[in-house]
Amino acid sequence: MKEIVLDISNDGEVRIETRGFKGKVCLKESQFLKDLLGKQTFQQLTPTYYVNQKQETKKYLNLCG
Amino acid sequence: MSHISKVEVEIQSLEDLKAACKQLGFQFCEGQKTHTWYGTARASVSENNTETDLGKCDHAIKVPKCKYEIGIVKNGNHFSLLWDSYYTGGLEKRIGKDAGLLKQAYSVQRINREARIKGYRVVQKKLTNGIRLVLSF
Repeated sequence: MKEIVLDISNDGEVRIETRGFKGKVCLKESQFLKDLLGKQTFQQLTPTYYVNQKQETKKYLNLCG
Repeated sequence: MSHISKVEVEIQSLEDLKAACKQLGFQFCEGQKTHTWYGTARASVSENNTETDLGKCDHAIKVPKCKYEIGIVKNGNHFSLLWDSYYTGGLEKRIGKDAGLLKQAYSVQRINREARIKGYRVVQKKLTNGIRLVLSF
């Protein structure tokens, strides 16, 4: 399930985490929140970000035993 | 997850700031051009402001049980919070260091309102050191 999680500390710091998204769409979906709140000071991309949503998987089947 | 970001909060919406003040029990004084502070050069200041900036503002916030008030000053496309953090004024105890608690309340109001307009479902949860908002489709 796709979610955007915002943790707002008592110091007023906001941490935004996107979950369940594959590829670059997570940045697009969360951008409005960053624009609403202020200015981004840090960003870390996780391995899921680099998953190509339209990636084709080729399988080679061994038909001769 | 796919990415993590950190954002420094800037006050962009007076409406959401008013709602945050109401939630915290503070009084938003629209159009008040001065705010109470220590009054002399020995006062400590907040954000990136200097002592010469203190006392003047576009709006103000009165915080219950505090001698000093918070000034709101238009600064480009956002508003700066200006206040005297000297302990006798009582503000830092109520709004947190760097007005963290006020910025937190403002952020929660802003996100709740705008995310619901965009059709997100918002679930709010209290954490040990803050508040969590989970937006889902």
